[in-house]
Amino acid sequence: MIAIDGLTKNYGPKTAVRNISFEVQQGEVLGFLGPNGAGKTTTMKIITSFMPPTSGTVTVMGFDTVKDSIRARRCIGYLPENNPLYNDMRVEAFLNYVASAKGIKRSQRAIRLDRVMQECGLSDVKHAMIARLSKGYRQRVGLAQALINDPPVLILDEPTLGLDPKQIYEIRRLIKALSTSRTIVLSSHILPEVSQLCDRVAIINRGEIVAIDSPQNLTAGLEDHSSIVVKVGARREDAVRIIAALEGVLHVSTANDCILMVDTVRESDLRPVIAKKIVAADIPLLEISRREMSLEEIFMELVTKEASIDA
Amino acid sequence: MRSVYLKELYIYFSSPIFYAVACIFLCIAGVFFYNSMVSESMLAAQIAQYQITTEIGLTDIILRPLFDGIGILVLFLVPILSMRLYAEEKAHGTIELVFTYPLSDFSVLAGKYLSGITVLGVMIGITALYMIILRTMATIDWGVVITGYLGLILMGGAFLALGVFASSLTRNQIVAAVITLGLILGFWIIGGFANILSGTYMGQFLEEISLLEHLNGFFKGMITVKDVAFYLGFILFFLFLTLRILESHTWRG
Repeated sequence: MIAIDGLTKNYGPKTAVRNISFEVQQGEVLGFLGPNGAGKTTTMKIITSFMPPTSGTVTVMGFDTVKDSIRARRCIGYLPENNPLYNDMRVEAFLNYVASAKGIKRSQRAIRLDRVMQECGLSDVKHAMIARLSKGYRQRVGLAQALINDPPVLILDEPTLGLDPKQIYEIRRLIKALSTSRTIVLSSHILPEVSQLCDRVAIINRGEIVAIDSPQNLTAGLEDHSSIVVKVGARREDAVRIIAALEGVLHVSTANDCILMVDTVRESDLRPVIAKKIVAADIPLLEISRREMSLEEIFMELVTKEASIDA
Repeated sequence: MRSVYLKELYIYFSSPIFYAVACIFLCIAGVFFYNSMVSESMLAAQIAQYQITTEIGLTDIILRPLFDGIGILVLFLVPILSMRLYAEEKAHGTIELVFTYPLSDFSVLAGKYLSGITVLGVMIGITALYMIILRTMATIDWGVVITGYLGLILMGGAFLALGVFASSLTRNQIVAAVITLGLILGFWIIGGFANILSGTYMGQFLEEISLLEHLNGFFKGMITVKDVAFYLGFILFFLFLTLRILESHTWRG
């Protein structure tokens, strides 16, 4: 659906995106993750043919975004960063303009408009001035203009930026509903959002992709050991001694009175063994669980590792 | 093109700028009209008193000064109408929507330019009411009226082409308006230099590219190929420059 090959973008002497290549398959949701200024927005602006790459190619549904720009643009619904809209227009008039600009025939426009406004929950505010809408509603108008011609590809640049938690939840639910039939590329710096919504995550830093994989694989691939959290009701010292003696345990630390953090070698799952030993020693076992590295930790690790190499 | 044209008209007619501009324009044009009516009636009284036979008629006393006045008003008001065309979209970021919709740069520009012409046409068109008032007390040379309005629209169109060009250069509407006014005044004072240098080739050249010189024929009731071609060529030239400027956003980054 989207193929990016050797994409580089320079702003004057500054390189914003350096030689990145990846593909997004049909129906896939790809999350773009990276600190501010990493090149997420630049990449998205190139995919939507707002600007051409310095070198490299981007094709959307087989159409080159430079040579076959108009046809590529027809396949894309784009929600730019900060969601720019015409404040002086009313919602319905604006969407009607977008529909005609995107080449929807007059006879089908009303039906399409009703569908999209219903899908995005805008039916109640269709006569309202865009300037008067709350941020949550503005974001829905932004999504509606991207969706109006039912494009197979959606590019969403920070779709939940600046919304309150309830609005974020609603927009995410909407995106989730949309993702069943469409290819979506979305950027974010909110990590749980990416792990919730995306099939694959591309972590981008200083214009380069440092990792691209599913959230699960990213998590698994970066851990060099597994951690197990054990919560006991009493006799903490005894528990530490018993666990530390087990084969495969690297280190045991105590977080507070009753919680033990056990680092073990990566391949084995020591939970059954630990449970058995603790119970056999007659220590009350309250909880035992495996702790996985969160996307946040992976992100920090990748991004800071990169920085220290540079330095 | 149609979609952009209708959207621009929608924004023009829902924004206060248009109403402010139209209000000022019509008030001052009304004063001009009143002035020429008064001088015509004074002249008529003198003619009756001294029984002079004269060739001076309605066209010279009322229409010429009125059209001249409207021309000056258009000169000052076009920059305010044209300043938002691209600068506003750049400042608000909506240019990102425009350039990622399946529309060619040309069709966007044509839509925007024609919406400006339409708004200008509506404003100037309202002054045609004066002709209806005039008709109740005199016979009007309709040919001069029609060529006069045609000349005003062509000249306004040339100003607007300068305006849309200036608006594509910047994201600040005030700067766009100032550049437009500067360009228009520049093409106006060229006529003054032409007088100083009259008789030389340079003088001839400057006279030919002055935006106002070409208006005289229209106000006398003449449509010459030279004048029409000048205005149309001027408009196309600056729209072409605008397209090149818009295109450069793709490689300037």
